[in-house]
Amino acid sequence: MNLAGAQTFWYFYIAIMLLFVMGAYYIIASFNLIRVLIGLELLIKAVTLLSILTGYLTHNEGLAQALVITLIVIEVVIMVVAGGIVVCIYRNNKSLDTRKLKELKG
Amino acid sequence: MVPLFVLIPFFSIIILNLFPKKLMQHLSFVWLGFLSLAQVYLVAARPVWFWDTKLELWNLLFSFRYSVDVITLVMLLCIGIVVFISLLASRAMISDVHQRVNFKNLLLVSLIGMNATVLVTDVFSLYVFIEITAVSSYIMIAMNKDRLGLEGAFKYLILSAIATVMMLVAISLLLLLTGNTSFEAVGAGLAGAGNSLFVRVSIGLFLCGLFIKSGLVPFHGWLPDAYSAAPAPASILLAGIVTKVSGVYVLMRLAISVFGLTPSVQALLMFIGAVSIIIGAVAALTQTDFKRMLAYSSISQIGYIILGVGCGTKLALIGAVFHLFNHAIFKSLLFVNAASVEKELGTTDMDKMGGLTQRMPVTGITSVIGLLSTAGIPPLSGFWSKFIIIIALWQAGNFGYAAFALLASIITLAYFLSMQRKVFFGKLRSGLENIKESSMGLIVSQAVLAIITLVVGLIFPLVISWR
Repeated sequence: MNLAGAQTFWYFYIAIMLLFVMGAYYIIASFNLIRVLIGLELLIKAVTLLSILTGYLTHNEGLAQALVITLIVIEVVIMVVAGGIVVCIYRNNKSLDTRKLKELKG
Repeated sequence: MVPLFVLIPFFSIIILNLFPKKLMQHLSFVWLGFLSLAQVYLVAARPVWFWDTKLELWNLLFSFRYSVDVITLVMLLCIGIVVFISLLASRAMISDVHQRVNFKNLLLVSLIGMNATVLVTDVFSLYVFIEITAVSSYIMIAMNKDRLGLEGAFKYLILSAIATVMMLVAISLLLLLTGNTSFEAVGAGLAGAGNSLFVRVSIGLFLCGLFIKSGLVPFHGWLPDAYSAAPAPASILLAGIVTKVSGVYVLMRLAISVFGLTPSVQALLMFIGAVSIIIGAVAALTQTDFKRMLAYSSISQIGYIILGVGCGTKLALIGAVFHLFNHAIFKSLLFVNAASVEKELGTTDMDKMGGLTQRMPVTGITSVIGLLSTAGIPPLSGFWSKFIIIIALWQAGNFGYAAFALLASIITLAYFLSMQRKVFFGKLRSGLENIKESSMGLIVSQAVLAIITLVVGLIFPLVISWR
């Protein structure tokens, strides 16, 4: 593992960590379905930044670009499906509260 | 011509949707049936013209690197069988034209995803195709837009998205460590990197993501919800093959050929497997809903497979792959039974059933075969795979786990017998006199799956030497 220059990117690590913590906090602490999705989006953005950084540090910029573009496409697909499900839940329940999703008990 | 397993479903989605919907529903039924049976034939007979010809033209346009070994072949066989059964069930269970068309499109998408997942040789492509399979199954669960389906789909989506985030972080860390994403490069890089904290964190994250995907015990919350809320054909597909491909197969592939079965990975897998076996079985005992009980039993059976993978000897891996095959067959059989009961009674609550064998003989008899195979009663196929796993555990010196696996299969028998007593055996419950046997498609699929279970159990020596 040759990570020359890894030290110069300390602010990058902090940004990634912050995004992770924020995303996880949104998913765990929020009771709103849309906020849960935003939290998920933040998590995926953090991963995207991590892969860009990884590609740069290992001199694999081409591979990292391909990965990140694929990642963005898949993320959009997941978010569209999730958004559709949330809209349907809102039409059924007239509410976006996760505490009302209790009919199935894990 | 192996990439055709992925390319033909892909182009058939485009071409089939050019036709008007009325025509397309019949056309796609025939075409999907042909595709899945052709896949079963190509894997079972393995004609040389298919497997050894290279597609020069396609290699010019794009490259699709793949590898084929025994595990891949078994998975392709299971995918073919379960997709065919789910197709027959969708014919019987879905009456709306639009929903039929939608379901067949989703089935094709998930066929692409699953076939590609078992063929690829690259960690990132693995993630892409797992995600394609998962997206199609979210939509299948939520397809009826009822409250339960949407709730199950949302839970599955959130947990599985968290799992993919974990897997992606692990992929990024592996890329940082090894500079590439193909299986060989990552495996070689990991072998050279020793046992540092960095390696352990990335492998641990990847395994956690896969545990969520396959529904093993600390992460199993979504699985009963998704299985019981999904429409019947979707739950057959999900329980029969989707979680096995995107969770268990990937776990097996990575553990064997990328991470290597180091003692810590082995200990983790065996522990998680044993916990899943017992908690799944005990939770299944207390259920009153037919499909939820089958879902918990599924968790317990996946525990056996993971226990076999964790043991790591050659015999244990054979047992695990064989149990994966058997589980795909008998769990689809039981879910088809549940579907035909649901179709006739309109409910899956076991307290409202009783004595159904008198009215639905085929469903009753095939469900007995399915349950005996799951519980591991000779000479059915489930007995042999459990037997191999337990013998392998004993030979490798894991006496505690071997005894544990043996005892837990008694609990399996207990919950299935209580299910049989409530649903199929005994006197017919009043109010159910007008129940008839369900439609032809479901009867045929039950009979086919039951015959596979019986025959594989009886000609077991031939099956085990197949490669």
